[in-house]
Amino acid sequence: MSVVPPLPPAVRRRIQLRAFLIQGSWNYRVMQGTGMAFALLPLLRHLGLRDGDLEDAVGRHAEHFNAHPYLSSVALGALARLEMDGASPDTIRRFRSAIRGPLGALGDRVVWATWLPLCAAVGLLLYWAGVGGGWAVAAFLVLFSALHLTLRFRGFRLGYESGTAVGPRLKELALTRRAERGAVVLVFLVGGLAGLLLTGDTAMGGLSRSWSAGAVAAFLSGLVGGVRLWRPTALLTVGLVVLVTFFGLRAG
Amino acid sequence: MSFLALTLLGALLTLDGVTVGQFMVSRPLVAGAVAGLVVGDPVTGLMVGAVLELFLLVSVPSGGGRFPEPGPATVVGVAAAVWTAGPGGVALGVAAGLVLGWLGAVTQSMQRHANGRWVPDPTREAVTPDQVAAGHGLAIALDFARGALVTAVGLTTVLAAGPWVTRGWPLSAADTRGALLLGAFVSLGIVGRTLLAGRRWVVLALGVAAGLLVGWVLP
Amino acid sequence: MSIVLLRVDERLIHGQVVLGWGGELHPSRYVVVDDELAASEWEQDLYRLSVPDEVAVVFASVADAREAVAGWRGDAVRTVVLTRDIQAMAALAAGGALEGMEVNLGGLHHRPGRDEVSPYLFVDEADREAVRALVEAGTVVSGRDLPGAPRVPVDQILQ
Repeated sequence: MSVVPPLPPAVRRRIQLRAFLIQGSWNYRVMQGTGMAFALLPLLRHLGLRDGDLEDAVGRHAEHFNAHPYLSSVALGALARLEMDGASPDTIRRFRSAIRGPLGALGDRVVWATWLPLCAAVGLLLYWAGVGGGWAVAAFLVLFSALHLTLRFRGFRLGYESGTAVGPRLKELALTRRAERGAVVLVFLVGGLAGLLLTGDTAMGGLSRSWSAGAVAAFLSGLVGGVRLWRPTALLTVGLVVLVTFFGLRAG
Repeated sequence: MSFLALTLLGALLTLDGVTVGQFMVSRPLVAGAVAGLVVGDPVTGLMVGAVLELFLLVSVPSGGGRFPEPGPATVVGVAAAVWTAGPGGVALGVAAGLVLGWLGAVTQSMQRHANGRWVPDPTREAVTPDQVAAGHGLAIALDFARGALVTAVGLTTVLAAGPWVTRGWPLSAADTRGALLLGAFVSLGIVGRTLLAGRRWVVLALGVAAGLLVGWVLP
Repeated sequence: MSIVLLRVDERLIHGQVVLGWGGELHPSRYVVVDDELAASEWEQDLYRLSVPDEVAVVFASVADAREAVAGWRGDAVRTVVLTRDIQAMAALAAGGALEGMEVNLGGLHHRPGRDEVSPYLFVDEADREAVRALVEAGTVVSGRDLPGAPRVPVDQILQ
């Protein structure tokens, strides 16, 4: 393992700031590719690349790339390290295509499938328990941002420290196993939310008793039917509002 | 005045959804509270936001897939609920939120196709830093404009529809909430379904029991 | 037969495969057939990250895979076989080793000279040639990104 070359803090900060725009030009052609190149521009300029060399470097980072937006920072860190080490374009290309899948899968599982709904469930529980809307919103944002910002900033550092050897370092973090545990907590909170909403007129305006049976049936149908029921449910809700208004107007 | 402020808010929250930051202030729970503050009724804003959050719990901005876009949808939903007199306001708000979420997703997908035309393609030509910065910046600016447009179209529509709902809506506030929460309960069940594996149904049942208990103990 | 999925995807092991297809098919082994990868340990470490610990990941060169494929079809381990391009899959299928099975084209992205078949499927003449070779070797080829999505039929890919 070679010595970690120091990255000037000003360059690091500019990459990390630009990383917040990583999906700014998301498209079906190169997906996050342009965003990756945009984030790494400060480094490529710092390296003093000129003309053809600069264009080659920008080009290899602007090729097709896609990962979870927060965990892309791990790739940005590692790619910054590879550029600092003067790695070959072929190594960089192969690293990019090997890292995007795992970072995408990890992020989908940890952030989108677990942490985001978990934090939202906490916020919703607080709201319907009547703790106060401000607290509910604050709890959601603080909880969610804690992991979000950790992934971005510590992820960048981890990537920069490890370069191509980032695989085992990421494995050590056991993100998948932690997501599994988070999913158990989320299941509990989803149940809790259903129970709390069922108990009726809480301070925030819950369900009146006459709707309890329907609500239980709705919850069970979602449990049995799964994701394919989502679109029909949304359509039915919109259709119901339109129809009720229509018949209300005719009757009135 | 609040029409313009809400349009701006919708555009900013569109950016948060995918292109800039992804701090998740565009989630309905947060966006509902903020939009509520802008129109001077944070309580209604939170209510609509919370119901929409339940609906959109399964909807996350994953891997370039199409998903209901929460930001502008919540802004329009809250405006509809606050601007429309009577218990039908919340119903119009939630319905508008669901429709706008879909409209956001469709226009976002169109923009993603279009973005592919002006971002530089390194497999075809040499790419300069300026091309990268320009393509990237243009895409972000367009996303902002798209968010403003979607929000403005939504606001105009709910302003026009509001009086009809006020006149026609026959249900009480409690029954309106009940009807809307039915859909939210299906959505909650769906979230449970995507997580159920092994003995997790026991955990789910325990959660329901705990929720019922807390609900009864609370004043 | 216990090969539960044959898939061509430039991204190899990633979210769509592990969560989308894995959630539906519950494989306990992924086989990645790729000459370069079979020789590169740090890349293997990266690809293994997407897969739960209890699921095996095997990397094989095309030549080694041709030797082993009958065994994968025969044993009881539910296996997903992945290649980066259609050519590698066609090499694996040559001589009828995959006869009667379905080959899923799940991710070939835009590149100059390639024509768009669907948002996740771009092919050039060499790719179409390899698709014909797969059909000749007795496999059924179609495009599909996720288990629930509609299939893109082979005629549309060959157009």
